[in-house]
Amino acid sequence: MTERPDTTPPPPPLPRSPVNEEELLPQLVSHLREHRTKLRQEWAARIQGAGLLHAMTPQEMAAETTSVYDNYVEVLETGSVEALQRYARDLSERIIPRGVETHEVVGIVLLLRDVLARSLFEKYQRDFALLNRVLDAYEPAANRIANTVAVSFVDERERVIRQQQDSIRELSTPVLPVRERLLILPMIGVLDSERARQLTEQLLTGIRTHRAKVVVIDITGVPAVDETVANHLVRTVDASRLMGASVIITGLSPDIAQTLVTIGVDLSKMDTIGDLQGGLEEAERLLGFSVTRGDGTGTM
Amino acid sequence: MTGPKLVSILRQGDWLIASIHTALDDSQMLLFRNDLVEQIGRHRSRGVVIDVAALDVLDSFGANTLRTIAEMARLRGAETVIVGIQPDVAFAMVSLGMDTGDVPTALDLEEGLAYLGRPTGARSRGRRDAAG
Amino acid sequence: MGATDFIGAREDPSAPDVAALIPMVRRVIGARVADPTTAEDLVQETLVRVLTAAPRVEPGMLEPYAIVTARNVVTSLWRQQDRDRRNQHRVVDLSPPDAPDDDMLAREEQEAVAAALARLTDRERDTLVAHEVSGQDTRSLAEELGSTAGAVAAQLNRTRARLRVEYLLVRENVEPPTDRCRPVLLALSGGDRRRQREVDAGRHLLECEVCARLSPPLMERTQSRDDELRIPIAVDADVVAARQAARELASRLGFARTELTLIATAVSEVTRNIVRFAGAGEVVVELLDQPRAGVRITARDTGPGIPDVQAALADGYSTYNGLGLGLPGARRLMDEFAVVSESGRGTTVTMTKWCDAR
Ligand SMILES: [Zn+2]
Repeated sequence: MTERPDTTPPPPPLPRSPVNEEELLPQLVSHLREHRTKLRQEWAARIQGAGLLHAMTPQEMAAETTSVYDNYVEVLETGSVEALQRYARDLSERIIPRGVETHEVVGIVLLLRDVLARSLFEKYQRDFALLNRVLDAYEPAANRIANTVAVSFVDERERVIRQQQDSIRELSTPVLPVRERLLILPMIGVLDSERARQLTEQLLTGIRTHRAKVVVIDITGVPAVDETVANHLVRTVDASRLMGASVIITGLSPDIAQTLVTIGVDLSKMDTIGDLQGGLEEAERLLGFSVTRGDGTGTM
Repeated sequence: MTGPKLVSILRQGDWLIASIHTALDDSQMLLFRNDLVEQIGRHRSRGVVIDVAALDVLDSFGANTLRTIAEMARLRGAETVIVGIQPDVAFAMVSLGMDTGDVPTALDLEEGLAYLGRPTGARSRGRRDAAG
Repeated sequence: MGATDFIGAREDPSAPDVAALIPMVRRVIGARVADPTTAEDLVQETLVRVLTAAPRVEPGMLEPYAIVTARNVVTSLWRQQDRDRRNQHRVVDLSPPDAPDDDMLAREEQEAVAAALARLTDRERDTLVAHEVSGQDTRSLAEELGSTAGAVAAQLNRTRARLRVEYLLVRENVEPPTDRCRPVLLALSGGDRRRQREVDAGRHLLECEVCARLSPPLMERTQSRDDELRIPIAVDADVVAARQAARELASRLGFARTELTLIATAVSEVTRNIVRFAGAGEVVVELLDQPRAGVRITARDTGPGIPDVQAALADGYSTYNGLGLGLPGARRLMDEFAVVSESGRGTTVTMTKWCDAR
């Protein structure tokens, strides 16, 4: 009671709770360390019972629960949130690619909080006053841990998702200058409106920077497009022509051809070639000419 | 004449190079059209390059005016090529539903002149003997 | 020193004896203002206000009312340098004129204010006067009225909006020509954009000369919004001005360059229609944040109207020597597009482009 201000009268001594505040937490921590194996297993069982982390193998689960447990107890001991944040970020980075969801992470941390709280309850249940003080010390710390882990996880998850989207975007619409005045746009994967927009920006500015006269858009790797995207594609082709570039489309699947016809595109006015090789040959042929006219390209 | 700041029309041998320097409103666009067509007739030009790189927007009226110019030039024996349509302007034009007429377009002035059949560097006036 | 010191000191509330309040008011003010001349002025000012309010003050409440008033008078002295700012929300400057020449103007002004006040309901007027003149705060007003401070504040704002409108009508000596005028003027005065849309204020201002004339001082207060632009349209050059303004405002939202040009082109098309067919109108550009970021363009005119909107939206429709791409073309450039047209009254085109998260 030495730390208390002079004005506060010392509380009456608790008959069966000789532990003072400063010793509470260390005592709690050593209890959790002592029963580490049993508590960790109990926790893992609860996680499985709740159907959480099913994306992980038993080995991964054992490794992660052990390391989360140790970190958890360490944060209780030191109160250092920085270390916890660092750990939570690392953990998130490891488990996000495994498809772990936010509610699972929050769920397992809350389970651990409750498993440990129950263990403390069992240990101190005969000294109710002491139990109350132990839980008073434990609960705010435990909630802070749960909060920190959840926030770190969500942050990390958003960062990873953003990063993935950016890199997918960059990879998915590369504008490749194969030779002077010739661009190739190999497109792979599902083409949604956002990607279609990106494609337009990249292609049209690409025509300008590379002074392209011919563009080959290869859509062999695009399974299907909806009408909005098909429309966007056609507009991009027409806009390229207004900038003086001829567009050759290769790898047009029957499905996409059908969509184009549905939205009223006259396929005979589009320069479509079966495969990329044929498209490149046609491009060479066009580049042999000094003008882009006669076949309907490059006019407004 | 709309004044030297909005547009400029330069004569180069048989050709006219018309540049629009800033966004034009409809009246200015019409003045430009009249001025250009008048000069085509006066100089008996054979080819016209219209550089629209400075236009922020080519809406239905702007595009239609360019097409009218090309048509009037054709009636006077001159061929017209539009150059410098910006990427975003090009996309907006086709989104607006401009139907592709038969006025040729090219990337920039250099390409436009090449299209008319003469390399940019050539200084000589005189007849247009290169293949069109 | 608290007001409770004096409550119940007098037992005869039936005839308000303001003179009896003087010593107490002197003490309140003297404790706060050192200069005796200034203090005496403030005492007089307080007594005048108390005297004016006396008939409405509850029996027995005159002393506390006087104390509150005295304190407010002192506070307003301290804030003298802020007076302009404090008065900004009022359409009328209630401070006395500086030069004698202004006397007559000031008197007319006061009469206009008085007449405008007379047009309010009793409750509106009492609350406003208690707050604006006597300086009673919204919390104590709420207690008196059995309401909440927030509700009182909202009510005060509505009353101020009404007062500004009535004052303008009195000062200009006009009766609103239509029954739509007052709701429109009120919506403008209150600066409530949702309400303005509900009553179609923009269109009314195009149609009603009286409201168009009265509205500028009402709008000045709310025109400070920086996420809205209003461009009057009459001549060719306005088309360029409108599309450039739209592009500039929309560029704040992070639209890609291509999308900005789509917006500018759409604005160009609908604005040209105003110049061609209606002769005059306006274009309003607003940034939206609900339900997500976007830009809304409203182009309205008072022209002859479009006889067949469906036909006008179909490709190929044109009544001038153009491509006929005006309305259908603009519609293709935007995410949302609506045309309302009434024969003889004019046309309103509302179009929106949403800014996708990027
Ligand atoms: Zn009116």
